[in-house]
Amino acid sequence: MPDKRILEMKGIEIQFPGVKALDKVDFDLIAGEVHALLGENGAGKSTLIKCLTGVHHMDAGKIIYDGKEITPTSPQAAINMGISTVFQEINLCQNLTVAENIFVGRLPMKRRHRIDWKGINNRASELLKRFNIHIDVTRPLDYFSTGIQQMVSIARAVDIKAKILILDEPTSSLDENEVERLFDVVRELKKSGMGIIFITHFLDQAFVISDRLTVLRNGRLVGDFYARNISKIELVRQMIGKDMEQIFALKRPTVAADATNMLDVESLGIASKVADVSFTLKTGELIGFAGLLGSGRTETAEMIFGVTRAEHGTIKIHDREVRIHSPLDAINQQMAFCPEDRKRDGIIGDLSVRENISLVVQSRRGIFNPMSIKEQAELADQYIQLLGIATPDAEKKVGELSGGNQQKVILARWMATQPDLLILDEPTRGIDVGAKAEIQRLMLKMCAEGVSVIFISSELDEILRCANRVIVMRDRCKAGELPGESSRQEDILHVIAEGTATGEEA
Amino acid sequence: MDERTMRIRRQSFLNRVLNPRYIMVYATIGVFLLIYLFGALMYGDIGFTTIRTFLNMFIDNAYFGISAVGMTMVLITGGIDLSVAAIAALTGMFIAYGNTILGIDPFLCIAFAMVIGIGMGALMGAMIHYLNVPPFITTLTGMFLARGVCSMISSESVAINNDAFNALAGWKVNVMKLVDGVWVKVKPIAFINLNVLLFLFVMLLGAYLLKSTKFGRNVYAVGGNEQSAKLMGLPVARTKILVYAFNGLCSVLMGVSYALYVKSGWALALMGGELDVITMAVIGGTLLTGGVGYMLGTFFGVMLKSIIPALITFNGNLLSWWGKIATGALLLLFIGIQRIVVTYSAKRKGKAADCVSKKT
Repeated sequence: MPDKRILEMKGIEIQFPGVKALDKVDFDLIAGEVHALLGENGAGKSTLIKCLTGVHHMDAGKIIYDGKEITPTSPQAAINMGISTVFQEINLCQNLTVAENIFVGRLPMKRRHRIDWKGINNRASELLKRFNIHIDVTRPLDYFSTGIQQMVSIARAVDIKAKILILDEPTSSLDENEVERLFDVVRELKKSGMGIIFITHFLDQAFVISDRLTVLRNGRLVGDFYARNISKIELVRQMIGKDMEQIFALKRPTVAADATNMLDVESLGIASKVADVSFTLKTGELIGFAGLLGSGRTETAEMIFGVTRAEHGTIKIHDREVRIHSPLDAINQQMAFCPEDRKRDGIIGDLSVRENISLVVQSRRGIFNPMSIKEQAELADQYIQLLGIATPDAEKKVGELSGGNQQKVILARWMATQPDLLILDEPTRGIDVGAKAEIQRLMLKMCAEGVSVIFISSELDEILRCANRVIVMRDRCKAGELPGESSRQEDILHVIAEGTATGEEA
Repeated sequence: MDERTMRIRRQSFLNRVLNPRYIMVYATIGVFLLIYLFGALMYGDIGFTTIRTFLNMFIDNAYFGISAVGMTMVLITGGIDLSVAAIAALTGMFIAYGNTILGIDPFLCIAFAMVIGIGMGALMGAMIHYLNVPPFITTLTGMFLARGVCSMISSESVAINNDAFNALAGWKVNVMKLVDGVWVKVKPIAFINLNVLLFLFVMLLGAYLLKSTKFGRNVYAVGGNEQSAKLMGLPVARTKILVYAFNGLCSVLMGVSYALYVKSGWALALMGGELDVITMAVIGGTLLTGGVGYMLGTFFGVMLKSIIPALITFNGNLLSWWGKIATGALLLLFIGIQRIVVTYSAKRKGKAADCVSKKT
């Protein structure tokens, strides 16, 4: 039986300021298949989808949908053509009822101007029953769990009579039960001949539900594979790729034999986010956190820094138990945290380099002890020189610097507080190779000065190059702990893919 | 109909009644009844419980009530409108100045005011949506503009002396009762006037629009999550502009109603009235953050706000600013209730999640 291709995207190219987000990417979808789109963050998965749904406009390439070439101009136009998207964050109205959420915008009317409430509620019930969901559809949506809400948004998308359903990270906030239910629905839809594009970073789920897998890396197509023909470990390798560059010969920090425990984390966790994580960190040690995105790395860091409050577990600093309920508590314990999304959580783009660098020092000193402009300028100049921040002067707006230099500004901000513990969440993502090596060098330099570092990264080679020990996270749990020196990438990949540690220690 | 469907049906009726969002409406009704009971016990002997007292509360506040209908809709979209009282004053001024000084038919003046009021509302809505100016600022601009134009027309109070208009203002229906087969007026004499009818009509219209029209549901959707509403393909721009335009109409009607009440136009009429109107809507359970609000609640919000001055009048010893203090206390109480309800439903959400996964 010949496959009916309902979608073909050929040679898609999208240029963003400074980066090529997509470079000659091909993608196709057959009616009645689930096609997973995999890749690390920034690989171009979302960009490709946004191109298909008309959010971004492509610079080159063509999209053939249902035998005709199309150029989607807006999400609404895409929906009208039969391309529906269910986003990770639920795009429904929490204050409306379930039934209304499914139908709002095309509410059935009776006698012209009156809404047919009975009809709406009955039809919504029927529709959800097809998905084996029996709930009271007259309740407001916010009464139900995220899983049900996700299902409702799928019901809405499906009722629009879509030919292509795009699920963009639909499972990231669902528990196992809910994921299973979602997959039942997906299988049901697949049977009816719908083409489904499934974006996820949960490899297991991709394998369970998909027929084909397409891997993107750095905006390029790595390849598409039949799920039955490829092993998980091979897939992870394809996703991460090999970074051949090694500009600086970096030396991992040497931990003194008599080094004391700087940080002691014991069974720290939040239900549904991270299960009990325990580890210790010695003074001057660099510990790497590996694992796919969403595996609980960032969440763990945020708990230690007090961004989210842990529900259970203890944190000891220098063998003394401390209570960290807010980032300020953490800062007062001499911690520093460079968050993952530097644009959103790190830099303040409209402030100058000087202001960004002196921010935390100022907040530590308190409101009644303001730093003079001169002090700030001295501090900024010192770190601009020390870190080699490429800026014409300290008064330039941080938002106008390149990614690598922005990252250095954040590093400078925290270095200025002279921390004991530095947590770096993906400090090297999205910056060019030279700047990457520079950041790594600075990180190691700080270790040598006695700072303990937690280094979270998706790039295994840089973790292996720098870390004394590697903690591997998988599905919101600590899956294993490997020595940095003697481990190979394969060992880490093995833990990520299979969840069994080869060199775990207590 | 299988057993499960039956259960869901039964649940759904109970849930509809016990919907946490209605709790605020119930609270408003409950507090109103309590205060009314208090008044009845304290001042029942001097006539607090008469129909006349009850209807007078309507007559004295009908104009605010009319505006509260439009305001409720604006608040549900997550916006706010500070220009209502100013547009009402402008309406009064149009009628008074237009008729008394220029000799134009008062109903022509009202029609003109409607065009201006609806136009201003639509314009403000468009500014809020397309230029992304916060509603607070946009409508503040509208307020100053309307007040300014008012003072420009006349800085003094202008009386209205039109026979037809006065006839409307004086029109009333007495409450009658059947005594020995003959209809007689109740004692003390109680009546409703045009303002009360207008208020009830606008209220019912508002309730119908919100509950049973696409427009009304879009209002809730926009207030619930504007981004989602846009992604769901709802006409967000049209909805917002229409809501402000409708509110403009309500403001004009408030102005007409107030003019019927005081039979004059004055640049400073209803000064600060927009805050009274917002208070009524909020006491009635409308969330300032948008997405939640009911006309029934607003109706009782209006009643609650009106019963306080009535109580103070009956007491006789209290100064009128006690009314402000009592209103403040009420507002605080209801904001407290709202917070509790919101937190409570957030907690319940967790529980609901549990039930669902157990059923599987």
